Amino acid sequence: MNINKYPEIHPGKKLFKRVYVAIMLWTVGKAIQVAAKVDKEVKEELAKLPDNFTLRMMVAPEKAFPLFFYAKTLPAFVVDKGLLFYGIQMILHKDKEGKIKYLGADPKGKKIDLNIVFKNIEAAWMVLSFQESTATAYMHDRFVVEGDLVHSLTFVRVLDIVEIFLLPKIIAKLAVKRYPKWAEMSPLRKFVKRVVIYIRAYTF
Amino acid sequence: MLLPGFYDFCCRVRIVSGQNALEKIPAMLKKMKAHTPLVVTDKGVVGAGLVDVVRDAVGKELEIVNVFDNVPVDSDYKIVDEVAKIYRQKNCDSIIAIGGGSVIDTAKGANIVASLGGETLLDYEGFSAVKRKLNPLVVIPTTAGTGSEMTLVAVIADPDRKIKMLFVSYFILPDLAVLDPRMTKTLPDFLTASTAMDAMTHACEAYYCLEKNPLSDSFAMRAIKIISENLLKVVKNPADMEGRLALANASTMAGVAFSNSMVGLVHNLGHTIGAICHVPHGTAMSILLPYGMEYNMHRCGEIIGEILLPLAGPEVYAQTNKKERPEKVVELIRKMNNDLYEATGGRHSRYLNEITDKNGAQVVPESLLPVIAQATMQDGARMANPEECLPADAMLVLEHAWQGKPLDRSKVNKGGTKVKY
Repeated sequence: MNINKYPEIHPGKKLFKRVYVAIMLWTVGKAIQVAAKVDKEVKEELAKLPDNFTLRMMVAPEKAFPLFFYAKTLPAFVVDKGLLFYGIQMILHKDKEGKIKYLGADPKGKKIDLNIVFKNIEAAWMVLSFQESTATAYMHDRFVVEGDLVHSLTFVRVLDIVEIFLLPKIIAKLAVKRYPKWAEMSPLRKFVKRVVIYIRAYTF
Repeated sequence: MLLPGFYDFCCRVRIVSGQNALEKIPAMLKKMKAHTPLVVTDKGVVGAGLVDVVRDAVGKELEIVNVFDNVPVDSDYKIVDEVAKIYRQKNCDSIIAIGGGSVIDTAKGANIVASLGGETLLDYEGFSAVKRKLNPLVVIPTTAGTGSEMTLVAVIADPDRKIKMLFVSYFILPDLAVLDPRMTKTLPDFLTASTAMDAMTHACEAYYCLEKNPLSDSFAMRAIKIISENLLKVVKNPADMEGRLALANASTMAGVAFSNSMVGLVHNLGHTIGAICHVPHGTAMSILLPYGMEYNMHRCGEIIGEILLPLAGPEVYAQTNKKERPEKVVELIRKMNNDLYEATGGRHSRYLNEITDKNGAQVVPESLLPVIAQATMQDGARMANPEECLPADAMLVLEHAWQGKPLDRSKVNKGGTKVKY
């Protein structure tokens, strides 16, 4: 039997959901990188993570994204900068100085310390289209955590804060357990950070 | 009945319960093709003569030679690694855990390292990190409370980081749990009280926290009923063997319930207080349970109100207005704690400021509350709580629980949408 006659078949359906999830992961990755610079609370939360720490959020199976094959033909920097989605993943790194950096979607050559894996594209779609809050997704067993659980709790808290910054109240309320009152987060802080995060995430 | 959008439920531990249950162990171990068990226990259990009770019960059919009795109250991963090392040195093929929560969790941890290889337990931290079947594990609980014999979680401390780590996998579940009232007969009254209230907390939190499901609910409801009917009776009459067997069963049922529906704020705070101040788990649970219910009442009051039926019986349930049921539940739990306080001569603590060590010194100083509140963010139980709990919220609950005042619910932060189960 010639094994080459039986190539690995990659799922190619649900293109809209895949592209949507990939864009959301890219946005969240960039937003966390910016929020870590501009917001004190996010900075304090991320300070709890150890230095030289790499975190990945991805959708299983790893190589399911159709553009994966085409990405290989492009120059490396295109993928590294996160300009093209190389698989449905988001990699964040905290360096020795405690700076958070979005590392795109290519895990090659990176040691992943915390891996948060959505079990399938539908699970990721439910969470990232805000039909299910992070807590409900956790209860409904939508993702697997590989690595230190304590760090995943830190990440979930950061995700909650960033979602509150990025999304209007009507949508953010679906994503988090409790939408903060003015006393917990002033509207000025929320709106200023929202503008800053969006501008910086989409520009540089 | 509330049917959640999704749930999974797994309970594949064989349970043997009865006055002569211990005698069944050799035959059951043989069926699992295990012949050389390592007994994991602590000094207290050995001192109370419980290992000898097991030895006499299994007779000549199973020789108990290898005994590790150095498990401390708050077991850490270094002890687990040590047990796994001894397991390999003595060529053991199974583990028999005789003890309370700490011993059972240590045995679960040791079983991971001994079965899967490697040097340290830290390699297997997290959800679903254990991915294949482990060697046979038999659990004989000596307290009626932890329910650890039925859970897929092992909670083990990391003294360097001052946290309790969670190891979660279906493969961690023991193969056999043996409930025999001889094992809890010598348990002092205040420990009987606090461990049973621990089981009560498991059942209540399983019933109202986010991962609730109909199967867990049925176990939780029955466990609450058995505990409320038997606990005070057993504390007042320690020789009541039927009552003790009932409590052991309730503890196991509560274990099944919370293993499949997780726990919330009460355990979140309790784990953290245990890790920082070394408060016994059962004591922290019995103190914090009414506060946990009060904190979540605006999110799931109706569900908390349903607990009144097994807790107080159908007459009280029917007589109480639907809106008043959750408050009545809290009131009855507080009354239960008070009754236990009186029945044990003040050794069952009702508030955090009442907990003292052997020398009479306060175990939870008020100055440590902010530290505890901050550390709650690092405990996995916070995820399953219906209401968000940030350090400021934890501080509010802790202050009230320390002073012994009912929670001022007007100060609880609100603002979430309807709880989605």
